[in-house]
Order: sequence, then C-alpha cells, then structure tokens
Amino acid sequence: MDLNGDGHLDILSGSYSAREIKGMAGLFQVLWGSEKGFEKEVTPLKGSDGKPLLIGDPSNDDTMTDRICTRPTAVDWDSDGDLDLLVGNFKGSLFLFRGEGGGKFAPQSEDLKLAIEGYHSDPFCVDLDGDGDLDILSGSSNGGVQWAENTAGKGKEITVKGFKSLISEGSREPIWANQKAGPAGSTRVWADDLNGDGKLDILMGDSTTINSPAKGLSMEKVFLAEKEWEEKMLIMRTEMQNPSEDSKDQSKLRNEYNKLSRSRSEFLTSERTGFVWLYLGK
Amino acid sequence: MKMHSLWGFFVATPLALTTASAFEFESPVRMMAGDHLVKVQSPGYAAPSWADVDGDGKKDLLVGQFSKGKIQVFPGKGDGSVGKGDWLKVDGKIVEIPGVW
Repeated sequence: MDLNGDGHLDILSGSYSAREIKGMAGLFQVLWGSEKGFEKEVTPLKGSDGKPLLIGDPSNDDTMTDRICTRPTAVDWDSDGDLDLLVGNFKGSLFLFRGEGGGKFAPQSEDLKLAIEGYHSDPFCVDLDGDGDLDILSGSSNGGVQWAENTAGKGKEITVKGFKSLISEGSREPIWANQKAGPAGSTRVWADDLNGDGKLDILMGDSTTINSPAKGLSMEKVFLAEKEWEEKMLIMRTEMQNPSEDSKDQSKLRNEYNKLSRSRSEFLTSERTGFVWLYLGK
Repeated sequence: MKMHSLWGFFVATPLALTTASAFEFESPVRMMAGDHLVKVQSPGYAAPSWADVDGDGKKDLLVGQFSKGKIQVFPGKGDGSVGKGDWLKVDGKIVEIPGVW
C-alpha cells in the first residue's frame, strides 16, 4: 500500500518484538518505496512525535501481549481522507493509530475494545458483504478466518460489534507427508479479486508440521516406534514430576529425558512450514 | 481459474463456511508457483499479500514468514496464478524485517 501518498508502493509489516525496546514490543516496519524503487533499509514506522509507534502503554508490563506479534493494515478507518493504522497483536485485540496524513500517525493508539477468538489478531479491511463499506477480516492462532461486519455504511467511521466465523478453524495437529489435509492454524489473511472474475477471493497463510518416516522406514514401523517412544516419554515425565531430592539424580534424569526426546528423530522427521491457501469466490 | 492445480496427495478438504449467500467460496487449494507449492521456511507462519511490487501492472503474491522476517515474491500472471518465486531483494540484498528471528 502507498502509506505516505507519494504514489509509490510501500511494504508495511508487523513484527514479534524489537530487541532494542525495553520489555517487549513489536514495532511496525516499513520498506518505503520511491521513484528509484524500494529503500535499502527497513525502518520502524514513527508517530508524529518522531518516536516509533507502540501499541498501548509501554510502561505497563501487564499489557505486553497488546504490543507483541503485531500485524498492521492501513485503512481510512474514519473516512477523513487519510490512512489510519489498524493493528492486531498477540493477545488478539485491535488498536487504532489515527492517521494525520502523509504517512504520519498519532503517537497514541486507541483500544477498539474488539477482539477475535484466539490469539494473533490479523486485521484486513475489505467490503466482504458488498454493502459499500469496509468490513474487517482476521486470521487467528486457532486457524480459519473471522470477520466483523461494518454496520456504519459508506463514508462513516467503521463500526463493528464483534467477530464471527467466516472460515472454520483449522487443525493444529501435525500431518503426515502423504496425508490429505486442509488448512491448519496460525492464519494470516488477505482478500482481493485474484483472477479478475469480479468476485472476492481470499488468501490465507497457515502454519503446520509435516511428519515423514525417517531413513525410509515403513509407516507401520514408525507407528510402532512412536508408540514405544511415547510410552517411555510418559514414564519419564511421571518420574520428573516426582523428582528425587538429590540434585545429581535430577540432572541425570533431565539428561536422559532430553536424550529420549531427541531420539524421536531416529524414526520420524518433522518439517515445520506454512502454506498459502486460496479460496476462490463463488 | 486456470492454475493452482493440486499437488499429488495434497488435496484440499471441503470448506466449512458460515452460510451467507453474499460471499461464498470454493474449497481451498494450496497456491502453486508453477509446479511448486508456495510454502515458507521453518517454523512456518505464512503471511500472504497481493500487490504489484514489480510495477508490471499485474499483482504479485508476497509471502512473509517468521524466519528472519524474509518475504518471497511470486510474480503474478494476471489471471490469479503466479510464477516461480524469489526472495524480496533490494540492490541484490534479501530484505529482512527486524523483530523476528
């Protein structure tokens, strides 16, 4: 999106947490576009006070989950002609930084008192129901897509009551490499008419774990090995819940537990990844 | 839609939607870039967006990921399908969003 109105595309991103911030807080990062292309460096988005934008009250440690794992989208929330910043976070709530034009934003965020089901709110605004105003879509740690209907109408400040399910939650269980599987959890959403048929399509990113037999083992052998491994792990976890008072024994038990835990890779390999799912509009 | 063919056994499951006649969707399919699945590096967390970043008038698929905050760009063909992807780079250097690792 063109965040500062200079006619060039900018890339806006959230982040998990900046290392240079005391406590934890995910800054909003921008790769500014210009007539020469994108700038060389990604830079934190700043408020009109010149300081990096942070959600909520940074001095309040109790609200840390409001400020991490941020996900921004730029939208004219109040229909005043300039872009505002609607942001999600780890907690699953939504905040707003009012735009002041030209890529400037108010330093203080507003708590919209709005939250998704699950964590990792992921707002994206689009006219989903075709009534002329912008609704809010969101992914979630639970998977799926949620949406909040804007009831204000075109040309008015976005007004929503709450989120409801649009696309059902995905499975967060690992899948096998040859398994038929649908979308998983930890979703991020985007919407557009991808194929130009005049209908809105949805892109949804997810996060999943794909298991495969190690060393060419058959699935049968993997299942047997995993069953045996899980039984041993259960015994060891039980032992660890009732530890000896001797610190040497505790250390030995931890080492044995870690060794057993790692031995899973002898029969099973796991790949953590994420896919992009396309839902074409009907 | 011509592309986005399914790959081997990765057949999508039926989509469960809330019933709403104004917006209904086909069953989901994994996005493909040519013959390859669009996917991200470990630990996952694919974050897609759709915008014309190469200025050819066709929107492209951008996919962010958690690992090092890198972004893949898959050039759009104008019909909703995309070609082979590459990392988003500026002056040959891969762009990394700070604050993820």
